[in-house]
Amino acid sequence: MALLRTAGPSEAAVIAGGTDLLLDVADGRLAPSRVISLRRLPWRTLDWNGTQLTVGSTLPLRALEQDPELPRRLPGLYQAVRAVGGVALRHRATLGGNLVRSAPASDLVPVLLSLDAEVDLIGPGGVRRLPVDRFVRASRKVDLAPGELVRSVRFPEARPSAYLWQRVRPANDISQVAVALAFSPAEHAWRVAVGGVSPRPALLPEAAHALGSGSPSAESVARAARRAGEQAGFVTDRRASVEYRRHLVGTLLTRAVAGILSQGELPP
Amino acid sequence: MTVEPLRLTVNGRPALVPDVPGNERLLDTLRWRLGMKGTKEGCRTGDCGACTVLVDGESTLSCLTLAREVEGSSVTTVEVGDEDEVVARVRAAFSAAGALQCGYCTPGFVMAVAGLLRERGTSARREEILEALGGNLCRCTGYVAIVRAVDALRAEPK
Repeated sequence: MALLRTAGPSEAAVIAGGTDLLLDVADGRLAPSRVISLRRLPWRTLDWNGTQLTVGSTLPLRALEQDPELPRRLPGLYQAVRAVGGVALRHRATLGGNLVRSAPASDLVPVLLSLDAEVDLIGPGGVRRLPVDRFVRASRKVDLAPGELVRSVRFPEARPSAYLWQRVRPANDISQVAVALAFSPAEHAWRVAVGGVSPRPALLPEAAHALGSGSPSAESVARAARRAGEQAGFVTDRRASVEYRRHLVGTLLTRAVAGILSQGELPP
Repeated sequence: MTVEPLRLTVNGRPALVPDVPGNERLLDTLRWRLGMKGTKEGCRTGDCGACTVLVDGESTLSCLTLAREVEGSSVTTVEVGDEDEVVARVRAAFSAAGALQCGYCTPGFVMAVAGLLRERGTSARREEILEALGGNLCRCTGYVAIVRAVDALRAEPK
């Protein structure tokens, strides 16, 4: 722990699954003299407390997607986890690692935002809890103090939800645009989050507001789709143009609403 | 600083590998320290699946896994003998279907299919298998014969 607290990134790297970290090591962007493994920590856990879910940060994504309750209670999370890499990658990749590494095109950050997930952190200064929206600062930047680790991620309630993406190749590729949509039964409110935006996945409160407080009309969906295209911080990069992304986000949002309405009754 | 030898079981046999640094990939330990060249390096970024091996029965990308991270584990590669009945069956099915062209991706495909069969048994649905193979690329694009081999391994009506 002393090493964790004092070492800079070039001296010591913390490794969970390592599926993203090793890309930096292989390319020489990172040459840590020490690797600190989290594999012996007892954090490979998954606990339902009613419909509240707590996922240990080092649980492999493959174990998360195989939880029998997940597809019914948090379908958006189930879909997003299965969008990450291939099966062999998900046998090692972890939720905590994905969050801390905070890649701009992460398939998990948008869905965590839409589900109001919170991270539990533990470090030399004690424990604290932060909403994912505050924990993830920017591309590859998170609010983590020296020596601090993500212990678990907490999902407050079951939500009708969906995660849809667009890619060049459907399998094992990076999403150009992604939409995470969820409806909170407790708050009677929608959450819309998008990926493929700069500098990091973000919530779109205006688009969510346009969907109303329950089952939306076709006009509301169209308005939300327009708002999402206007509001999202899309840019042109090597994966897609800003125009393509603006067009696509509305299409994905419209499909996500249809997907959620097919999961069961919402209030009117 | 002296480091303990790395303790693994490789294809059913115990192995003690000296001098493995903390930043060495499992792929390099297998190929260069143990001389097992069956496992291939393709993209080295987790995109192609050529380096897939089983770690404690689960398909794993050996290019994105540190050898020290699997200390004490059982590693299975495409070279395992026919006493590993699952891998032997998958190899035989690939051979019977002619499911290879240049062959470079084949060890990865064989191990990915073997991992899925261990996890799901022969009742796995075709869509599940295709999805599970989404992490493996064949640059010869010889997928039709690969899917035919996989179909032959399934218990259900084809």
